Amino acid sequence: MTSINPEKIELDKEMQSRDLDKSAIPVLEQIKKQGSGHAWKDLSKKWGVDNPNPPWKVTLEATCEVLSEVSCALPSLERRWEEDELVEEHYKDVPYPERQLLALAHSMIRRGLIDEEDLAKHMEEVGKRLNMV
Amino acid sequence: MADKHKAAPMVDEVSEFEILEIAVRELAIEKGLFTAEDHQAWTEYMHTLSPVPAARLVAKAWLDPEYKKLAVEDGVKASLEVGIDWVKQMPTQFGTPSDYCNLRVMEDTPTLKHVVVCTLCSCYPRPILGQSPEWYRTPNYRRRLVRWPRQVLAEFGLQLPDDVEVRVVDSNQKTRYIVMPVRPEGTEGWTEDQLTEIVTRDCLIGVANPKPGKTANDPRPIRKALKPYHH
Repeated sequence: MTSINPEKIELDKEMQSRDLDKSAIPVLEQIKKQGSGHAWKDLSKKWGVDNPNPPWKVTLEATCEVLSEVSCALPSLERRWEEDELVEEHYKDVPYPERQLLALAHSMIRRGLIDEEDLAKHMEEVGKRLNMV
Repeated sequence: MADKHKAAPMVDEVSEFEILEIAVRELAIEKGLFTAEDHQAWTEYMHTLSPVPAARLVAKAWLDPEYKKLAVEDGVKASLEVGIDWVKQMPTQFGTPSDYCNLRVMEDTPTLKHVVVCTLCSCYPRPILGQSPEWYRTPNYRRRLVRWPRQVLAEFGLQLPDDVEVRVVDSNQKTRYIVMPVRPEGTEGWTEDQLTEIVTRDCLIGVANPKPGKTANDPRPIRKALKPYHH
């Protein structure tokens, strides 16, 4: 039977030494609050849809891939390590894959890949665009 | 003639999460982290992934001893016969570090059961098995399976006799695994297509065994308590 993976021990050591800033990010806290009851599991039930995943799940996965494989800005292994930590700290009560998305945005902001203020502004623009009738 | 076709229901409201996903992606493109073309290529690739090629690999191996030998010796080469090229199929055209080109097919026997985990993160043989299920990513599964495999398998409804050895295989950055379960009784004379249908994703991870008549990855059963507590 397998014992504890030595790579896991190394990864934990390396990531812990980087001292990730795990403090809450206001814009994401707001989404968490506003999004409560509007996760895919709630919406699909409300509208009688049986897809297990939201339509944006595949584009989220693609974003994670290109950030790792194309730009090398956020390697998959480090993203997943941070996701585990951030979910435990802030997003435990958010369903999957919404919590994966929040953790990704959190990592990107803390690493300086995107800016919190820019994100808030851009979300407003996207919201207007999507809700246009 | 009146059109009797009824549109499937859809979610007709925009959630904060949908907005966040688009905003993060568009900002990343704006910052030059990747291009819209790169993203589109990966999205299309992700859409093509499913557990069917891995199920077919197992079904073929059950029917053809030579192919079984190849599958156990060289999973990447055997994958070619079910339409999966671990190197050239990716949008990168040369594989990727997160789907590293080393697939191992773990052959079960009547006295040996394999089960796959990734204690490191959630490494998974996506080119041949599709996206990992949610539970595969959870610390609960990852931490507990290596310590208490029988208990965890029992939670999936797989009760193993004491004389069956359980071997947990831990995925890593360089090696990915699928399980080749024992061909179940009652499938004699079946075609490759029929056999492929009963090799579900959970059988390929090792948390279930194939059974004739069970073709979907059903949710875990909820068992009624034998002695329910009454208030």
